[in-house]
Amino acid sequence: MLNIILKELNGFIRDGRLKIAALISLILLIIATITGVYDYEKSNHQHEQSTLKERSIWETQEEKNPHSAAHFGTYVFKPKFALSVFDYGVTNYTGNSIFIEAHNKNEASFSKATDQTGLARFGSLSISFVLLYLFPLIIILIGYDSYTKEKEQQTYLLLKSQGIHPVKLLFGKWIAIIIPIFSLTVIVFISVAILVSNNEAFTFFNWSSILALLVLYLIYYIIITTLTILISSLSKSSGISLVSSLLIWILFSFITPKVATNIANYNDPYPSKSEFYAKIQKDKRSGLDGHNPWNEAAKKLEEQTLEEYGVETVDKLPFNYIGFRMQKGEEHEAKVYEKHYSNLKKIALLQNDTYKNLSYLSPFIALRFLSMDIANSSDNLHWNFSEAVEKYRIEKQKFLNYDIKDNSNYGERGYVMSSEKFKNLPKFIFKPPVLQDILIKNNKSLMFLFLWFIIPFGFLVIISKKI
Amino acid sequence: MFLNILYNELKLLNRSKWLIILFSVILLLFTFASYNGSNNVSKRLSDIADVKKEFFEKDSVMLQTLYKIKAGENIETPYWRLPSEPMIVGNQYPRLAIMYPESLSFLSTGQSDMYTHFISPRIYGNNFALDYSEMVNPVQLLFGNFDLAFVIIYILPLLIIAFTYNALSKEKELGTFRVIASQPISTLVWLFHKISIRFFVFTFFTSLILVINISIFSFDKFLLNSNLFGLLLLLTGYNLFWFVLAFIINIKVNDSSKNSLTLIGLWLLLVLIIPATINQVGSSLYPTPSRLKMINEIRSINKENESQQNEIMDSYLRTHPEFVQENNESQFGFWHNYFASEKAMEEKTKPLLQDYDSQLKKQQVLIEGFRFLSPAILMQQSLNKFASTSELHYNDFKKQVFEFSDEWRNYLIPMLFKNQKFNIDKYDQLPSFKYNNRIEHNIWLNVFIILTINIIMLFMFSTKNLEDRSV
Repeated sequence: MLNIILKELNGFIRDGRLKIAALISLILLIIATITGVYDYEKSNHQHEQSTLKERSIWETQEEKNPHSAAHFGTYVFKPKFALSVFDYGVTNYTGNSIFIEAHNKNEASFSKATDQTGLARFGSLSISFVLLYLFPLIIILIGYDSYTKEKEQQTYLLLKSQGIHPVKLLFGKWIAIIIPIFSLTVIVFISVAILVSNNEAFTFFNWSSILALLVLYLIYYIIITTLTILISSLSKSSGISLVSSLLIWILFSFITPKVATNIANYNDPYPSKSEFYAKIQKDKRSGLDGHNPWNEAAKKLEEQTLEEYGVETVDKLPFNYIGFRMQKGEEHEAKVYEKHYSNLKKIALLQNDTYKNLSYLSPFIALRFLSMDIANSSDNLHWNFSEAVEKYRIEKQKFLNYDIKDNSNYGERGYVMSSEKFKNLPKFIFKPPVLQDILIKNNKSLMFLFLWFIIPFGFLVIISKKI
Repeated sequence: MFLNILYNELKLLNRSKWLIILFSVILLLFTFASYNGSNNVSKRLSDIADVKKEFFEKDSVMLQTLYKIKAGENIETPYWRLPSEPMIVGNQYPRLAIMYPESLSFLSTGQSDMYTHFISPRIYGNNFALDYSEMVNPVQLLFGNFDLAFVIIYILPLLIIAFTYNALSKEKELGTFRVIASQPISTLVWLFHKISIRFFVFTFFTSLILVINISIFSFDKFLLNSNLFGLLLLLTGYNLFWFVLAFIINIKVNDSSKNSLTLIGLWLLLVLIIPATINQVGSSLYPTPSRLKMINEIRSINKENESQQNEIMDSYLRTHPEFVQENNESQFGFWHNYFASEKAMEEKTKPLLQDYDSQLKKQQVLIEGFRFLSPAILMQQSLNKFASTSELHYNDFKKQVFEFSDEWRNYLIPMLFKNQKFNIDKYDQLPSFKYNNRIEHNIWLNVFIILTINIIMLFMFSTKNLEDRSV
């Protein structure tokens, strides 16, 4: 078998295909890395600056009523994650700043894609772009004629007459294709890991994540290699084998994901923004409004509070009822937002399930989801960030409303919170999920990759005996 | 001789089932893509209908209240929500700015999945901070839609490659090339005729199916006009580009596997690598200023304005003497101060916002230049413009909303400063928004460019070929 591997590898070296494809990929990888690192460092620096400046704006604001400060609000910014330089995922399509204020949960604003031209829809040249789209092509390029050339040059009978076992021949060819692609991939990952781990700007880097990515990409390349050899063994000519392999590649990488978009949209459509907010407004109106003491819910709360504390009027309560009501209003609004955003998340998850379920047609989809999730550039990460921000917003409103409740008197006009107190507001801290959780959440994608790994390979072994 | 080749070629295509396969595949792909595009347009129209319904319901509540106020009837609405206050009208009853889809919007999703198609600019809030993004799962934006633009830009070239990659080499591999070579016609001319026939067949199929799809899926009544003719010419030009490439590769390489490899390599380069690289390099060369930096600057200005409220109001009144109240300046309340601060904010942020426009324009110029390098970019830009879903359309929509927002404020703010009330008689005078598609699709220029590229390619090839022969 070693002889077969060496013979095949010699063939690849003599033939210019591998050299040219590897060289082009290498050039693209270098461009992707340089521009990616440059963009990352710039954005990360801006993120640090903006976070510090926004905090300073909050801490140095003039003394004012806590509720005015709540309306003045503050911004929180999504941090950059080291491996997002490897895979941009959906980061270009999600905003990276959220304004937090009283009564309203705001969406992340200013996505990068809205500041770009329509060309962005062709995709951006990133390291994962080359690994996801071009490396499978290198495999097809060197493997499409692995069997057909033996048939065309009529050397297959010669090989058989030498008593070579078909499974050994198959493994020889298979390993010969795997070796160059594995070598290239490992070099790329090691380079990225060294680059990222030695630069302080790349935060939240961990070796296990990059190792997991490497393993998953290698599994994908094994799948493509198996399919390419399978097609070659079944094809009558190299031309047909090449065209069929390319068709599979296009089906995997372009057609299935796009068809999935339309199916997902059709089955589980997202509401329009106005429809979504209209429902929120309706629910908000039906409950407690912290600013309106006359609405039904406010009157009910007043009655309950008076009864609980055994007093007749709100001015006799041991705290400022206005701050208390304001906080209850916030809690009601937070519940409304939680209800509607969890419904929205359900739709998003159903849509993502449509994609993931179509992984039985395309292992590319499974890898795409896993790759961006591990690189912390996925929609899941964005959901986590939005939820953490909302949690922080609720805590912040409580901090401010309770200042009114505990430190001012009912009916006191002109109460202000001292500037010093603003500094006591805890800072927003966000940490990405750990690798183990990410892998557990992606069990379906992992299962599909595993099936794609096993089934075509088994099929190939059976076929190889019959060629 | 041509008729002979035509007859034989059609016979061969028919026998090999290529004609039926090609027609079926194109029909299936175009129809599925058009159906998807049409669904997107229907969703857009349905969202617009919902928002309009809500708008009219709200307006009717406002009208009823205004009637009651005029008639002196008792009103249950709290005084701070009465539409007789101009600021309540401006903030609670904003007008609706709608961007309707056009008859060919189903052709290309473009940027339409990212942006909202209706917005209500209120009197409160910064114009430049209006959020035009639509609620969408970002995964959908990442993968994109299976629309006609995708089929035309990505899939058609692949079908052409599959249809032509072995036009000459197959004859060689089957051993029939000697028969052809013995004919009184040069191989080059023979192949040219053969590829031309395939080109006409392919273009006939794609044009016919496109016209059928437009007539079915375009929600406006389908009219044969010069724009449609331009679109068909553009499609023909794009098809021709790939046929010319296939013709050259067939002659130059003349081996089925190598032909398909080279053609796929070119497809990859032109459709995938060049656009993605230009996008990445363009964003790095002409980056738009950081939005985070913008947020910081606006926040700092806000904070600064808070402490300088009196000076800002003085300065505002100096530039708007018509708003000066003769009785007592101290009557200025929240809204008066707010608009004065807003004006100051607008002035201070103007240079920053101009930076965004200028960088985006530079990126746009870069792309315009690269149209010549990749016909895929040219097609994407053209189809998006044709469908009115390009970034230019959405940027212009934002601009028109910005202008309308100024009109809305300019109508109501004087009423605030002059202590005037809004009433039922003024309802019809309220400004309204009408989107005007001001973006030219430049279809003829793009047709000219793609045809010129084809002619240059053929000219260069024939010159080189003649030189080779002379040698």
